[in-house]
Amino acid sequence: MPARPLPVPDEQSAPFWAAAADHILMVAQCSGCSVLSLPPTATCGHCGSADPAFSFVPVSGTGAVRSWTVVRQAFLPGFDDDLPFLLVDVELDAQADFRLIGRLLDGVEPSPTLGEPVEIAWEDLAPDIAIPAFRRVP
Amino acid sequence: MSTWTDGGRQVAIVGYAHSDIVRNADQTLGELAGQTARQAIADAGLTVDQIDGFVGSALFPTSGSHEIEDGVSTVSPAWLAQHLGAMPRYTEGFTGMGQLPGSVGLAVHAITTGEADYVLMHRALHNPPGRYHGNTMDRVSGMQQWTAPQGYFGPLAMIALPTNEYLQRFGARRESLAEIAVEARKNGSQIPWSFWHDRPLTTEDYLESPTLFDPICRFDCDIPVDGVATFVFTSAERAKDLPNQPVYVAGFGMGAPTRPRLPLHWPLDDIMDGGRETATRLWTDAGIGPADIDLPQVYDGFSPFVWFWLEALGLCPPGEAHRFIADGGIDSDRPGSLPALSSGGAIGNGRMHGVPQMLECYLQLAGRAGDRQRQAEVAVACHASPHLGGVVAYSSQQLGKSIVL
Repeated sequence: MPARPLPVPDEQSAPFWAAAADHILMVAQCSGCSVLSLPPTATCGHCGSADPAFSFVPVSGTGAVRSWTVVRQAFLPGFDDDLPFLLVDVELDAQADFRLIGRLLDGVEPSPTLGEPVEIAWEDLAPDIAIPAFRRVP
Repeated sequence: MSTWTDGGRQVAIVGYAHSDIVRNADQTLGELAGQTARQAIADAGLTVDQIDGFVGSALFPTSGSHEIEDGVSTVSPAWLAQHLGAMPRYTEGFTGMGQLPGSVGLAVHAITTGEADYVLMHRALHNPPGRYHGNTMDRVSGMQQWTAPQGYFGPLAMIALPTNEYLQRFGARRESLAEIAVEARKNGSQIPWSFWHDRPLTTEDYLESPTLFDPICRFDCDIPVDGVATFVFTSAERAKDLPNQPVYVAGFGMGAPTRPRLPLHWPLDDIMDGGRETATRLWTDAGIGPADIDLPQVYDGFSPFVWFWLEALGLCPPGEAHRFIADGGIDSDRPGSLPALSSGGAIGNGRMHGVPQMLECYLQLAGRAGDRQRQAEVAVACHASPHLGGVVAYSSQQLGKSIVL
């Protein structure tokens, strides 16, 4: 089976992926307004600064499920052996409405519930690449 | 408040043509577009040399690994003008979301500013060989690196999250989605050019279909097709000399900009908050409100968009659209309903990307809907998602707004 697509770190994402490889959730923080951005782009999505000079800070990987879907047909290579799998849309506790989408690694049953707590987990796809995912909080 | 759709500067649709909608056409998309364009120009009582404006969107709405070739997988306004042998003064492609309202906006702009007198707008959609959204990427750069490595990719994932959120928050079920698809296919089965002509869908067929991205199944999605639609626009003044009853562009509401998000991440609140803003822009521009709409035509490229648009337009309260539909609220056969999918929509025609909605507004208001003719003076055509698509109001009479300049 072909491998799953791997992220290609760039200037704006490299610190995130470097920390992810060590299973640490580091996200961009605007130097002007201190608001977190995921993903970071050329400007701060909150204060609009065109020179956000993002620093990467570690944040809590806990959060709450805001929605989910069970994927039963993959459009990308490398996922067929994992079907069906569950994707969760998680609001991280680090900041209001701060979202990250990843697989819920505990399987598709039982179905999640809105607001259910989850925490970050990591899928090691290559020696230096880990992808964010989630697990249920016991 | 003055807007550019006011009074004497108003713009009208004066002709149209639509190809048959098929899975794979015998001709190239470009040939089909050229043929359909000539039919629309003739329908408007015009000749090719009179068409001095070409507008449209050439977006090929796939996330798959398909080559994009003008005249084959897409048709741009410039390609169409060149291959018709026209010499337009104005040629413009719309590149944003809400491809149909955006293109109508370009036509209105061209005519009201005098950039062109007669504008041809077209939309040409292609069904490529292979899986429509299948992608063979092994590396992912740019914005998609934040989601695709997790398996969050493509429009089905995009729509599944807000759809499930709607189900969980408001108590809708797969049966509620089935009612949308069945209504769309019922109406589409009566459209001669539809891919689904004479082929309605039963609730049982829907419920037996396996989900792909829960709760979305194949019948919640419009089927990829080859098809072309063309419309001719001119000023209300020039329209008086042409054979068809004009249908006036009465106002616009375009969505966006949206909140910064992960790629393809459309939380339900983004859709609904943005959708209310889109609707407010329409009411302001057209000088109408929800109660003035005789014929809403809501977008249904995915079935849950029907809920989102009905609620964004204020045609039913938030969270209630699924109950409104269950109670026959959009049943085209029920007197007094709002037949929001009377065109058959995308689900009942094929992936024509907002064309069925616009065409139905035109046909009904121009009195050209044949056996399906309804009484309507004001109609609205919605396209894409309420928060970043758009909506156009059409009227059979010029709306009597005062011009304050």
